[in-house]
Amino acid sequence: MTITDNSRGTGPRVPSWAAGPPRRPRRGLVASVVSLTGELLITIGVLLALFVAYSLWWTNVQANREAGRLSDHLRDSWQSGAPGALDTDGGLGFLHVPAMAQDVLVRAGTGTKVLNEGVAGFYEKPVKSAMPWDKAGNFTLAAHRDGHGAKFHNIHKIDVGDPIVFETKDTWYVYKTYATLPETSKYNTDVLAPVPKESGREKPGRYITLTTCTPMYTSEHRYIVWGELVRTEKVDAARTPPAELRD
Amino acid sequence: MYGWIWRHLPGNALVRALISALLVLGIVFVLFQYVFPWAEPLLPFGDVTVDEGRGA
Repeated sequence: MTITDNSRGTGPRVPSWAAGPPRRPRRGLVASVVSLTGELLITIGVLLALFVAYSLWWTNVQANREAGRLSDHLRDSWQSGAPGALDTDGGLGFLHVPAMAQDVLVRAGTGTKVLNEGVAGFYEKPVKSAMPWDKAGNFTLAAHRDGHGAKFHNIHKIDVGDPIVFETKDTWYVYKTYATLPETSKYNTDVLAPVPKESGREKPGRYITLTTCTPMYTSEHRYIVWGELVRTEKVDAARTPPAELRD
Repeated sequence: MYGWIWRHLPGNALVRALISALLVLGIVFVLFQYVFPWAEPLLPFGDVTVDEGRGA
């Protein structure tokens, strides 16, 4: 019989797992260092995994929420019928690409802050984008491939001949893809030229250029898609989409 | 490290487990809210524009 034996009811019954920490035998210095190193490595692994989850999932959640709010705002302002002053702050319109299965709000600028809101931005620099209603020029857009809404994630699914439709308050601009450039340097600003020679066009026209990064999950290169205007359609009261978006 | 933290948390195992879970959630929150948004632009995964090389 020992004093620590309280199983007979002489003291409060304390389950063994709730008792104080068992005294550990002192470990050698080497063992401690190895153990600490192991725990640090595991911690780094968990941190990296969390960062991947943040980049590929959480930024999408945030960006889509923000883009949804901005889109609703733009549609509301269209509906309220404020006179057609061009307000590019709230957004220019919506890009519809059936091949990407995404409707993307388009706003001014390609800075990180703009693009991180889950929208596509039209270039203000290094080459200023033309507007879709300009007589000639290149309407140049950028959006994220992964994370932050990943609006151009499926850009590789756009084939030559596929429609790219841009919707503004009162007009549908129907473009047709005529060239793609699956990989180019990130410094290749020529792709944004008013007449993008690399796409094979020599004469001024009404072009659209989509740019994003490639391969997926990196920013090593840029992926380019070019289209040219086929026709425009007036938006009717019911906002009936053009035939290209109806199939 | 983790053993040391565990041994220094108060209460019985259940309470310690709860406190640990709260600590983990708190750390994940701080990471997602402050650390990752700060770190992300410094890493070369999210540049999508073509530019003249000064970095977008």
